[in-house]
Parts: sequence; structure tokens; C-alpha cells
Amino acid sequence: MTMIDIIKNQKAPRKLGLYIHIPFCRTKCLYCDFCSFVSRDSNEREEYVRALLREIKSRGTKEYLVDTIYFGGGTPSLLNAEQIGRILACVRENFVVCEDVEVTLECNPMISKRDVEDAVPYGDGLDSRDVGDADPYGDGDYFVELRKIGVNRLSIGIQSAIDSELKLIGRRHTFEDAKRTFSIARESGFDNISVDLMFGIPSQTGDSLEISLRRIISLGAEHISIYSLQLEEGTPIYRMRNRYSLADDDTLADMYEAVVSSMKRAGYSHYEISNFAKAGRESRHNSKYWRLDEYLGLGLAAHSDFGGKRIENTKDMGKYLLGECVENELEISQGEREFEFLMLGLRTSRGISKSEFFARFGIDFDEKYGEKVKICEKMGYFLQNDEFVALNERGFEVSNSILAQILDFDY
Amino acid sequence: MNERQKHIRNFSIIAHIDHGKSTLADRILEATQTLTKREMEEQVLDNMDLEKERGITIKARAVKLDYTAPDGEKYVLNLIDTPGHVDFNYEVSRSLNACEGALLVVDATQGIEAQTLANAYLAVDANLEIVPVINKIDLPSADIQRCRDEIEDIIGIEAQECPAVSAKTGLNIQSVLDAVVELIPAPEGDENAPLKALLFDSYYDSYLGVVVYVKIIDGSLKVGDKIKMMSADQTYDVVDVGTMEPFGLKSSGELHSGEVGYFAASIKSVGDTRIGDTITLVDNPTSEALPGFKAAQPMVYAGIYPADGSRYGDLRDALEKLKLNDAALTFEPETSIALGFGFRCGFLGLLHMEIIEERLEREFNLDLITTAPSVIYRVKKRNGEDVMVDNPSNYPSPDEIEAAYEPLVKASIITPTEYVGGLMDLCQDRRGIFIDMKYIDTTRVELHYKLPLNEIIYDFFDALKSRSRGYASLDYELDEYNKSDLVKLDFLLNGEQVDALSFIVHEEKAYARARRIAEKLKENIPRQLFEVPIQAAIGSKIIARETVKAMRKDVLAKCYGGDITRKKKLLEKQKEGKKKMRQLGSVQVSPEAFMAVLKLDDND
Repeated sequence: MTMIDIIKNQKAPRKLGLYIHIPFCRTKCLYCDFCSFVSRDSNEREEYVRALLREIKSRGTKEYLVDTIYFGGGTPSLLNAEQIGRILACVRENFVVCEDVEVTLECNPMISKRDVEDAVPYGDGLDSRDVGDADPYGDGDYFVELRKIGVNRLSIGIQSAIDSELKLIGRRHTFEDAKRTFSIARESGFDNISVDLMFGIPSQTGDSLEISLRRIISLGAEHISIYSLQLEEGTPIYRMRNRYSLADDDTLADMYEAVVSSMKRAGYSHYEISNFAKAGRESRHNSKYWRLDEYLGLGLAAHSDFGGKRIENTKDMGKYLLGECVENELEISQGEREFEFLMLGLRTSRGISKSEFFARFGIDFDEKYGEKVKICEKMGYFLQNDEFVALNERGFEVSNSILAQILDFDY
Repeated sequence: MNERQKHIRNFSIIAHIDHGKSTLADRILEATQTLTKREMEEQVLDNMDLEKERGITIKARAVKLDYTAPDGEKYVLNLIDTPGHVDFNYEVSRSLNACEGALLVVDATQGIEAQTLANAYLAVDANLEIVPVINKIDLPSADIQRCRDEIEDIIGIEAQECPAVSAKTGLNIQSVLDAVVELIPAPEGDENAPLKALLFDSYYDSYLGVVVYVKIIDGSLKVGDKIKMMSADQTYDVVDVGTMEPFGLKSSGELHSGEVGYFAASIKSVGDTRIGDTITLVDNPTSEALPGFKAAQPMVYAGIYPADGSRYGDLRDALEKLKLNDAALTFEPETSIALGFGFRCGFLGLLHMEIIEERLEREFNLDLITTAPSVIYRVKKRNGEDVMVDNPSNYPSPDEIEAAYEPLVKASIITPTEYVGGLMDLCQDRRGIFIDMKYIDTTRVELHYKLPLNEIIYDFFDALKSRSRGYASLDYELDEYNKSDLVKLDFLLNGEQVDALSFIVHEEKAYARARRIAEKLKENIPRQLFEVPIQAAIGSKIIARETVKAMRKDVLAKCYGGDITRKKKLLEKQKEGKKKMRQLGSVQVSPEAFMAVLKLDDND
């Protein structure tokens, strides 16, 4: 082997994102069909953390440079700071973690003391009765601890600034709680905070959405994710759907447009269908999904795109605790990659780069898709130039329909 | 007449739908102990599932029953079942020609209905001895005396002594058998004359080939005989001869004058067997053929397309299979710009059409799109040509037309008097020409109208039923063609004409229909990525307009925790849904939506 070969082989280490799933919630929201369990037992959570540490050890690799870590759920903030700290330490032992790693943790607003009966001691899953009269709520210690162990980004599930709407979808907090949580996080040193907002909530109107938008914008978060409520089969809200007044598609489209223009006025860039960020504050972790970058999902029901495969972890807690983590491994064909590349890339306002497309797949984008894109461009859904193709805001709203027309499903 | 022949009775049961024909047939089978009660399948004679569900008989069936009369005499009864519905009059008449008598079943709670009359007239035409049987006398609302009087007054046959039974409970069934033996004449005919047999039905069997049902008029038919079908002018070698038993065919090797049975002769398709044809021996032919029947003429046409275009071949195979046993069904390939490849099919009537559709869907597992049914129009063109049009797409353009003619039917409606007003309004609304109105008794009326066939092929029967709370009954027969102000109504989606939606309509009705269908299209066309104008036009003149607004929003689902499989599945589902869509010009419409538009009914 010549020196040149050696240098050639010494590529910059590939970047990797880690997704860590914490499948516990204090209560299950009425619309939720993600993998999460109501947990009131701290032993159960500790057992899970131990299994998670085992998985991290077994899947550790030094071939990659980890640049994002994302604790999602469930409600990751049901773990205490010590547990989060152990997980992060274990990650650092078993992976190479870069210095400016983005470490995000999803959390729900703290519940104030007013309804101690079912309030959650923040960062500690113990039932309130177990902690007697101690005041584990809102003293900010938890966030300070998180900062100390390296969490540097929070994603707070606020969802609405209207308390009656929050109640209807089974959220336990009020907007006051959310505001307080946000300011405590700030005081604790978090300078990169994302908040979630929903539209299409039962009883929500254009006016109430405007209020939510105004209130949430006034918090001054760096990043805002805005989703429309999905009625997923099997959820309580789906079963009760006929009892609610739900917005029709035109109203939802109006709402989406209102969201987009409010966000823009407030100085957020619309960088992905559902995501808005202040300059330079885009979610680095989520961006990996849209760019087909590699990420490893750890924990129950976590998904990975790693080593050319999509890997699905088991949804069965019993199996997971026994160390049988992986349920499914799928080799992704080049054609399917192409499908994913377009499906995910077109979620972003940057869109897809035709030269990158050619570099990855050896296919001329215009030759294969140009005609179909042109038809949609004429209808006013696309923006393109020689290098980039992207959906515009009208296109975002009907992106599934457009993708279904453009993509090649016979991969 | 020989002793054997004296003990044969060939008869049919005829009735208005739901008057209990099949139930009576069951009881007769039971009473002759051809079947024990335990063996008894509900209504043995109707053996297609569809028939059982709809409670109607579609194809004629025949069965031989051995019966020992109370006096010890042994008889052979051949019961030949007939369809009850107006669409199948043709099949009724061919079955009746194999009989010497008919039991006319009348529901004691309903009295005479339109099809009772129509069937009775067919039996009279066939020179049959008619034996009325009053049924359902177990019901509290049965009025036996009124029924007897009605039969005498309206049909003009003696009914004071006729059997009154409950086929359901089995009450008085013996009196029916007594009447069959005593009143229905034994078949005449000369066993020693050359073979003369009537072909009255046939069906395809995968083992035997075509099985032909015959009534031997004169002579005998044996295995090994070389036979000739006189009108088809074809000869065959007989390989099997026998009788129809309740549970299937039974070989007997021969049939003699007066008997009803089957033969097989390696015939490949029922198309080779003409109902009404005369069968004789090649070596010793009869001198004179029986008077033939008129072949059934389709009256209603519709395009049938596979919802999934790739199943065109399956649809063709399925139609061919049905055609094996249904001489009245016609089909030929047609193409529609909107629907692709399919078939223009001809039916005896709407019920026939529905039955064929249902059998295609059920027995052959096909999803179908059926265009609006049409009748055959006659168009005299300015260039002197005379054309028959069974497909609106082929309708000449207005400036080529000198005159247009549409078929009329003579309709007879029997209804309780309180609904007469509503039904007359209905007929009026359907461009009916009033002929007369006869009081059957103080409570019931028989109305006669001439109606354009194209006004009754959509939903007339349903409208009739809903305006009479189900009490009115209908029968009709094809009459003459009449000159009419017809126009072809076209529909355009996004500026492009959709051929499959075109239909012919009377000018006066064009505007209302155009508006209704445009509205219905609007309701049923899913919002697309662009705005879709809907227009209805006569020639180049737009007479109705609607708009489907562009779609504005679909699911903005979260790619949660890197799980992109959900999103993929969502898109795949959307794509799957699209596959099923029909591309009508640039607009995508689901087959269901298309059907919804075609199935306009009275309430729309």
C-alpha cells in the first residue's frame, strides 16, 4: 500500500446522529399513537435505562463521529437528570462524540402545584404522594442539572396557548405552566429551545390559533415545530371524532397559511414543511432525516438508518428488557433510496439538489422527473432552477398528493 | 293414447313475484316424497345463490316427480319452473310450451298483480289448462273469496273450486296435486310417429357439454340416435338421455312421447342450441317442424368495463361463460376514452342487467364500472341513412339528424286506488301517454300507459314502488318506435369531454338532468391539484356548470423519531388509491364516484 492509498482511505469520519427513545409518559394524550406507556413506577424506568445502556454498549462504534443526540418519547423528562447523565456518559464511552454535539431533550411543561394529586414531579417519575410536601416542581434544578450533563437543546411540547384546547386533547398542562417552564429553562441556561404547536385541535378556530401563535411567538423560542393534529385510528380522539367540531380541509389550509405568515413576520424561516427556525437554529438532528444522513435509533421501537439499512427496534418491552432489541432490518435498494431522497428532501424549503441527486444515483433528475415536475410547476406548486427543485408553500400543503404523482413507486 | 302417457302431467307454476311460487314448488316436491323434509334444501328449484337472495327464478329449471295418487295410481309429474319477472317473459313462454297446464299462484292477501296477468296471458297463448291456486291463506289479511272473484272477473277462468293453500305451512297441498292429476290433460302425441321434440332450455355442463332440455312430442329419443336440429340444421350423436331428478340428472337411455327430459350430444356451446328448435332423427325425420319462438331481443344496453383495466381479458372470459347459459345476453367489445376497453352489453331489461353485473362481480370477482343504460334509438339521417344507435357515443351530431325515434313500451300497472294519482303523475312525468284505466274492483285499478323505454330503464320501478308503498306492480312489453325530440347530453371535465358520461335524453328533460348530474359530479369528484370545471353540453352549447375547487391540504404528518415508514406507507396508500382511479381526461375519479354519478335516482 502506498502512502497515497493510505491517505485516500483516511476519509473524514462519517457523521452520525443518535436517537434515544424514552417510551414513558405520565398520561397518554388522546391523539397519541406513538410507542409510549403510562409509567408511575420508577423501578420500571430504571430497568429500562439499564437495558438502554446495554444496547448502547452493544451498538457502540468508533467509526463515526456523533454530532447529534436526540432524546425523544414518550416523555424523556420523566427520567431524572442522573439517569439522563448515565445514558450520555455511556454514549461518550462507546461512541466518538464531537465537541459541538447538539443534545436535544423533549419535555413537557411542568405542572404547577395546584393539582398535586396527579402532578408530576419534574425530572422524577415518583408519584407526588411519595415525595410528601417536598417541592420538586419548578425550582429549576432539573434544567440546571441537564445543562451540566451536556443537554443543550430543549423541545417543549406546548401544543396550544389556549387551556380549553389543551384539555380537549388530553394535555395536562396550562399555558401558564408552559410559560413558566420556558422561562425556567432560559434561566437555567438553555439558549436553544424549540416549542411544538398544533393546529386542527378540536374547537380551535382561526382566531384562537392566532392567539396561540402570538403567545408562543412572544416566548422567543429559537425553533418552532407546527403540526396539524392527526386523527390516527386506534386513538381515543379518533373514536370520539364525531363528538368534536373539527376543522375541514379548507379551514386547515387557512390555518396553515396563517401559521406560515405569522412565523415569517416574527422572523422565523420556514425551512421544512412543519418547522420554523431563527437563523442558524434549524434542528441539526431532524435535518439528518430529511437529508438521508445516517442515524442510529436506540431504545424501544426506535428506528435507524444506518450502514445502508433501515433498522426497526422491537416494540415489545419484555423482549427489549431481555436484550432482544432489533425487530427488523431492511436493506434499502438504490431505487428505494431514490424514493426516500425525494420524499424527504422535498419536505425542506431548500429542496433537492439535482447535482447531488446525480452524484448519489447516477440519474439525471430532469430526464426522469422533469416532465411531471413541470406539470406541477405550472399548477403553481414548485420552484426550480438548474440546480434546485423545491415545493413552494402552496406545494407543502398538498405535498403528499404531489409526491404520489411524481415518485416512482416501483423501486 | 297409451297407459304410460295417460299418467304423465307436464306443468309449470306461474305467479307474480313473491306470491309464493317457489315455496309451492317445494311443498309439491315434499308431498310427492321426491324429497324428504330432511333432504329438503330451501327452494330446491332455485339453485343459483342470487336467485335465493332475490327470491326470484332466473333460469327455468325442470324436475321429474313420481307421485302416487290417493287411489293408488302412479303418475309422473314434470314440474317446469319459470322466471316470474317481466324481463324474462321470453324464458317463461318457452318453458310453457313444454307443458299442458299451469298452476297460476295468486297471493290471497294481494290478489292479482301485473305479472299474474302477464303470465296468465302467456299461458293462454300457449294453450295451457290454467289451474288457479290461491296461496298464503294462513295470513290474517288473506281474502280468499275476493281472490276467487278477481280471477274469474279479470282472467275469466273458473276459480270458485280452485285449491286454496298455504305453501308455507303445507295446508291443503294435497288439493293441488289432485287438481294437477284431474284437471291438467295428459300429453297427446304418437309414440310411433317419427321423433319430434321441443328444445325448451339448455345449459352448459363442464363434463357433458351442453345439456339440452326437451319435451318429446312424438316418437322416442335414445342414446346412439343421430339427431338433427331442424332450424339450426345441425346433426349430433346422442350420448346420454335421461330425466331431471331433484338432485341432478339421471340417465335412463331413452325418452318417449309426452315425456320431459334431457339429452347430451357433445354440443359445445349453448349458442348452438336454439330455444324452440325442433329435434328429429336424421334417418326418420318428422315432416313438420314445430312453430319456432322468436329469439329474445335485448332491449337495454350498457357499457361494462373492468374497474381495473388490466382485467379486460377476465371480463371477456366471464361474459363468455355467462353467455354459455344465457342466450339473451349479448356483448361486443367497445372502447371508451374515459374507461378504456370494455364491452357493450345487451340485456332483456334492467333486472337482467343487474343480475349479470352481480354475477360478474360475485362469481368472477370483478369490479365493474357500468355506464348509464341506454335503449336502441333509430336515427334517420339527412343523407338518407337509417341507423340504430345503442351507444350514445355513436349518436350522430345534431346537424346530421333528420329525425330521431325512440322505443315505446305498453305498460300495465296494477295499483290500489289510493295511489292512482301519484302513479299517474309519475307516468306523466316520464312522458307517458295515457291509454286507459280499468277498475279491477272497488279497491284496485289497472292503468295502461305508453311510455318511452328510456324513461323506465333508470329507476321507474323503484319510483313506482315508493309512490305506492310497494303495492303497485308493473308489466310491460315493447311497442313501436315513436318520433321524439332527443338530444345527446355530453359532460366535460376540465374542458375535455368524458365519453362514458354521455347519454341521450328528451330535450325537455335535458336541462334538469344536466344540472343534477353536474352537481353529482361535483360531490363525487375528489378535489384535485387544480380547479376542475364541470360542464354539461348539448352540441357546443353549455347548459350547466359547476366547479370542483383545487385541493388545498393533505396530511402534514410528523416524521417522528426518524420513523419514515409511516410516511412511506401513507404515500403508498395514496398511490394505491390513485391506481384505482379512472383518468377522465386530466381528472382522476374513483370508480365509486363514477358509479354514484351514473346511479341517479328519483330523489336526486
